[in-house]
Amino acid sequence: MMYDYFSSIVSGITAKLEEDPHGIHARKRYALAVAALGQRLYSENARIAWCGVTAPFDLLNSMGVTSCFVEFVGAMLASTETAELFMQEAEDAGYAADSCAYHRAVTGAMLKSAMPVPDFIIGTSSPCTAGLAVMENMAKQYRKDLFVLNVPQSESPAAVRFLALQIEEMAGFVAGHTGQALSKNRLGEALELTNEATVLIKEIYGLAKQKPSPVDSRFLNNFGVVITLFMGTREGVDICRAFRDELSHRIATSAMDPSQERIRLMWVQNRIQFPFPMESMLGDSGAKIVVDELNDVTWEPMDPDNPFESIARRILSIPFSRNVDSRVAHLQELAREYQIDGAINPCHWGCRQGTGVRGIISNGLREIGVPVLNLEIDCVDSRNLAKGQIQTRFEAFTEMIQG
Amino acid sequence: MKNKILGFTCAYAPVPIIEAAGFQAFRVLPQGECPDQAGQLLHDNLCPHVKRVLDRALDNDLPGVSAMVFVNSCDSMRRVADAWRSARPGDQVMVLDLPSTNTPSSIDFLATEYERMARTFFTWNNLTFSRERVRERINVWNDLSQTLALLETKMGEAFYPGLAAEVQTVVNTAATDSVDAALAMAKAAVTKAWVPAGGHAPVFLFGNLLFDPKVFDLFERWNMHVTRLDFCTGSRFVSTVDLSQTDDPFAALARSYMTGPPCARTMDITRPGSIAQKIVERAGASNARAVMGFTLKFCDPYLARIPGIRQALQAAGLPFLMLEGDCTMGDIGQQQTRIEAFTEMLGV
Repeated sequence: MMYDYFSSIVSGITAKLEEDPHGIHARKRYALAVAALGQRLYSENARIAWCGVTAPFDLLNSMGVTSCFVEFVGAMLASTETAELFMQEAEDAGYAADSCAYHRAVTGAMLKSAMPVPDFIIGTSSPCTAGLAVMENMAKQYRKDLFVLNVPQSESPAAVRFLALQIEEMAGFVAGHTGQALSKNRLGEALELTNEATVLIKEIYGLAKQKPSPVDSRFLNNFGVVITLFMGTREGVDICRAFRDELSHRIATSAMDPSQERIRLMWVQNRIQFPFPMESMLGDSGAKIVVDELNDVTWEPMDPDNPFESIARRILSIPFSRNVDSRVAHLQELAREYQIDGAINPCHWGCRQGTGVRGIISNGLREIGVPVLNLEIDCVDSRNLAKGQIQTRFEAFTEMIQG
Repeated sequence: MKNKILGFTCAYAPVPIIEAAGFQAFRVLPQGECPDQAGQLLHDNLCPHVKRVLDRALDNDLPGVSAMVFVNSCDSMRRVADAWRSARPGDQVMVLDLPSTNTPSSIDFLATEYERMARTFFTWNNLTFSRERVRERINVWNDLSQTLALLETKMGEAFYPGLAAEVQTVVNTAATDSVDAALAMAKAAVTKAWVPAGGHAPVFLFGNLLFDPKVFDLFERWNMHVTRLDFCTGSRFVSTVDLSQTDDPFAALARSYMTGPPCARTMDITRPGSIAQKIVERAGASNARAVMGFTLKFCDPYLARIPGIRQALQAAGLPFLMLEGDCTMGDIGQQQTRIEAFTEMLGV
């Protein structure tokens, strides 16, 4: 059923793109790639790995493994308004309703046999312990082998060595399951593609910083997190190029209306995944999200001659892998570079990792003159959504910014 | 002269290292009457453990503490370490990286982390780093661990009123005062003439934090014979360090801490979900006829494993009562009816 669902999306988007073969259509190409990934995950032929968010997808792609972080499924279920059914299943099975809804939705999908059965599982201790617990539960439920990448919080030489060693061990673990050893050449090619895509991603973010920004509030929604799934592939490079070209085109044609950007906002952590009229709520006040916390490149180019250490340094550079001081410094840097007027933190309910230190994040941004709107939203579970209250708070926040 | 005090919040911070570096180890337990202030820095959906610990920090309810070690053991612990720097900027603070798995590379890394911890503490206290001193303190720790094991065996053999609370008092002394003092208390408890009683249901307790000895007296009043205190503030805190396999005390600590009875956040990747089976085994070994779990609200590592633990206990025919709360006496008091119904159902 899910395979057919994704296949119909792939067919639909492909037909649309064929109607305008010379158009850029970045979001459509991105949606097509995401649907095609869903199709592969639910096909019977692919080798599948369910992973943690910070797994090295370029390495896995180079080894011919169709891999995906499980929170992607939670987001997908929310966006199609089917998450509730699965969250209820998880809650009925005894999983706490106070836990992260991304993980509850995935757990419910697993219990209802709505997830593709993986060949193996690769957990990551970053960004969160809750996600790692889900990976262990999956390994038990599916009776599949589990590998865990322990991501230290520091970037000390010992931490880099430890993580690099684990990544090398992980490659051996994958080879043990696929029967194909890691090819250094293929990994090298994948890392070159990662570098090519990363250059384009930096260009995308560079363009998004302009004033007025060529992005609208949804254009780069979830981009920084989801694009990692396509790293190390030509498809990933092509998607990034399409985004870069579309922004360049918007700038060249002066497509953006400055009156829609009286207030430039930063979105902290992850977006609301279920259908929610965020853009219209913000647009009514002339406010626009120009940057997401998760849309940034914090690492140096990958070194194909030193792949494991390179990948380790990349994982360790992600602010979510580090302490709150690093995270606040990163948010402050983004705030300055994008010249934002305010920040919205949805404070995803159930997230101890990202939401836990919201007071420190607010203080850190206020230090540089950026007000923060802390909401109480579950980004996946819409059952307790107080839409009217959120709208009122948006309005009060934007009024306050406009003085 | 009294030793300087170094605080810690997680059972994976080895007390022998802290004491070897000349500090008094002081576990900052989530207790006291200080006002709720943690919400200034942390979200309310973090566990009551870290919020209460931060309340104490913000209220200066930590007499003599000038240094802290935090362990990167779970999201909540990471966040309280973050908040500590804002709450008490004058403290010396160290964060220890703790792997989630007990693989050889993880154990090797943890050994280097424990050595880094020891070197840092010796430096903070202006002492010369000494592996031998760490070994000495491990030996005392093991003496305590083995003495406590005698008491825990006794707890499983029969119902001795007051014994569970006594064991908890010893553990708390090791966590907040000194291992030497705890050892003296434990040895006295071993030689004490405990009088067995009947009519109580033998129940194995597990979870994260339950440390007030009065709680166990309450449980006894509610017809429970506590056979084991499998908490990170209980028997899991004082686990034996096997020095026989290596000359390196840090390697020994890392191996013992990662392969001993685990906190839910530590996993054996060769046996996913094996914490459930381990609880079944330990409950059986303690002669329990039922199991009661107690975890703090919002504790992801435990809450994610409870359904699996429930299944394993069902399969083993062990009745199970799960409680969730904030580990205060008031909170426990509200559970009286459920606990009494549970022990009554066991029909002793």
